[in-house]
Amino acid sequence: MPECTAAAGRAVPVNRPVLAAGIRDFTFHDGHAPVLHDVAVTVAPGSFTAILGASGSGKSTLGCLLAGWLPPGGHGTLAGFLQLSGTRLEFDGGAGDPRIDPAQWGRQVGFVPQDPAAVLSTVRSTVAEELAFGLENAGMERGSMKAAVERTARLLGLGSQLDQDPARLSGGQLRRLAIGCAVIPGPPVLVMDEPFASLDAAGANELAALVRDLIKRGTAVVILSQTVSPLLLEAGTWFVLKDGRLTASGPPAAMGPGSGLLPPAIRRLDGLEAATTPVLRASSRQPGELPAGPALELRGVSFGYPKAPVSRRRRRRQEPVPDRREMVLQDVHLAVYPGEIVAVTGPNGAGKSTLLRHFNGLLRPSAGTVLVHGADIGGVPVGKTAASVGLLFQQPRDQLFERTVLREVMFGLDRLVGADVAVARAGAALKAVGLADAAPEHPAELPASAQRLLALATVLARRPAVLALDEPTVALDGDGLALLDAAVRSAAEAGAAVVLVTHELGYARAAAHRILALDGGRLLPAHRPPGY
Amino acid sequence: MTASPAGAAPAPARRERLNPLTLLAAAAATAVITTAAGSWALSLAVVAACLGLSAAGGTAGRVLPAAAAVLIPFGLSLLVLHGLFFPEGRTVLAEWGPARVTAEGLDFAGQRIVQLAAVVLALLLFSFSVSIPDLVAALSARGVQGRFAFVLASTLTLLPAIADRARRIRQAQEARGLVVSRSLLARIGAFRLQAVPLVLSLIEDAGTRAAALEARGLSNPGPRTSYREVADSRLQRTVRTVLMLAALAAVVLRVVAPGA
Repeated sequence: MPECTAAAGRAVPVNRPVLAAGIRDFTFHDGHAPVLHDVAVTVAPGSFTAILGASGSGKSTLGCLLAGWLPPGGHGTLAGFLQLSGTRLEFDGGAGDPRIDPAQWGRQVGFVPQDPAAVLSTVRSTVAEELAFGLENAGMERGSMKAAVERTARLLGLGSQLDQDPARLSGGQLRRLAIGCAVIPGPPVLVMDEPFASLDAAGANELAALVRDLIKRGTAVVILSQTVSPLLLEAGTWFVLKDGRLTASGPPAAMGPGSGLLPPAIRRLDGLEAATTPVLRASSRQPGELPAGPALELRGVSFGYPKAPVSRRRRRRQEPVPDRREMVLQDVHLAVYPGEIVAVTGPNGAGKSTLLRHFNGLLRPSAGTVLVHGADIGGVPVGKTAASVGLLFQQPRDQLFERTVLREVMFGLDRLVGADVAVARAGAALKAVGLADAAPEHPAELPASAQRLLALATVLARRPAVLALDEPTVALDGDGLALLDAAVRSAAEAGAAVVLVTHELGYARAAAHRILALDGGRLLPAHRPPGY
Repeated sequence: MTASPAGAAPAPARRERLNPLTLLAAAAATAVITTAAGSWALSLAVVAACLGLSAAGGTAGRVLPAAAAVLIPFGLSLLVLHGLFFPEGRTVLAEWGPARVTAEGLDFAGQRIVQLAAVVLALLLFSFSVSIPDLVAALSARGVQGRFAFVLASTLTLLPAIADRARRIRQAQEARGLVVSRSLLARIGAFRLQAVPLVLSLIEDAGTRAAALEARGLSNPGPRTSYREVADSRLQRTVRTVLMLAALAAVVLRVVAPGA
């Protein structure tokens, strides 16, 4: 921790950090205990740093503090210092604390939060204008702005999307646009929170190449993550956070699986996972004696989105629609039996979520039928089908809408099973996902991993005959993944037919009895998992 | 830089060249002149022109329902008020106690309704045809504060965003057993369930976005520039000036010669 003190002196050491933080305590105004305690981080110019921590370890808070998105005094109290480009600001939580100008800070430190859509201004109609938003506010003249937009778009591989509506980008493109918005003013530091979540292998490779490129150009990159993805092995320094404290720091080589320095909840996706966190076992259980009929059956289902987008804003702009009802699903046949776990894999944008939304009728096929327990669900309201089909949405925030964790699980449950049983079921479901103690909390204040598990609990509590899970592993740390795995297995053992879509082939192999691939709108059998 | 077409798909090139302020000036001048003139013929001509333009521009599907929502209640109340209780009415067509249907009253009510229709249609046609990004850029270029331009743009894009969020919440609730039937009562009941989560999620969203907007310099006090180029020309500037002068002249004429 150390080098940062050097910045206070006149002599400039070679390795002077471009960004540093020495946090004795950081407490949110409405919190009881400090979220961060004794955390010291330094970032050298042009370096690559990873801050690793399980869900709830305080790393997003640290990221926001480093990025000026959480100015001390605004939402919480900081005791310690923040140092940027040689200027150190000391805070003690009193009235005399310096104030951070987020705009000035933002020009020095770019930040990409977990949800990249949060960066967007929402009032700009093209990717180019969205990129230029910060430059417009800084008063840059148009010629330089155009040059900056083109340079950044080239760097990000967004050159052909410049005239697109930001709301219509894919997940990977949106992530790159958010990075573009952060780096376009040319900040010496870029901080990214969980940039790899929900990216498929191709998207992750593109992002890794972009990060290497930025570092080569002299930008210091800081990645906050709860998983060790292969790119992070290239980092110069890892800082490990646990329960708001810094428990280790040093080069990745010193923190190998045998060192014991990484908490087990931090998943390793770098090929060393099996040696360190044997969370998942390859599924050895046969789906037992298959009962006579499938719990869920799709017969010749085809689907294409209507040619016009639903948003009135877009309709108002009358944009040309490039793909006129391109078929997302084509003649899909699928039968899932009680007790069976089926995984559907495919790259981002293959139509996996579209497929799942047909199971309960949120989307209706343009051809073919969907049968639950042998009965066609065409024309049946979604709310009725929901008694038999539980759907875990891809974005937990799309699924959570109540004021407390308990109310969230209870929603609609009392109408399904009666008030008394509902309370018992809700309690059991929260316990199954490790959230029994969080019952009175607000869902929006939970860490991302807990939000995902809460969304899962809302589905499990209903004990549906068909369990449809959309990318259930995204945002889960190692502990969360173990809870998910146990919950899915026990639901299947209790007779639920489980369909999970995921781009994590490793998880699919470990958890499923059967793996199918969605490719070009068609559902094809993939190879069987080993040992099955 | 390609601006997104402001209006109809069939004639995007022509529409794109119109500056949003020219459209705004045209709509405002039409509204003012029609109101000041108070002439059956002019009002009907404006109504017909607006209907024709909205049909040609492909916005009729949105302009007409919105216009109906405003005009039907107002029209009915004008009809009742002036049709039944017009003091200057002489030609009595029917009579119920103090209420008399007079030809003059009906004529006056009709005139007011057509006048109102002309104003409402002109303004609705403008708001459904203008490109919001162009309008915001045009206002910014004229020194309108960044914050104000942002608030204006957010307001104009707010409804679709709210509708989208409400749809997602409804889907989440349906996936957990909420049955929404087609009846109005059921829909109102379902909306009651969605209202609180909707407001809370919008507030939460605003909190996150505020941090992002601050970091991107929305509050910068200095001058701002605009990336988007908005088409403008000497001709359009002249047209705008002429429209404004014509509107002013119409008001002055109305005041000076009330009987005109």
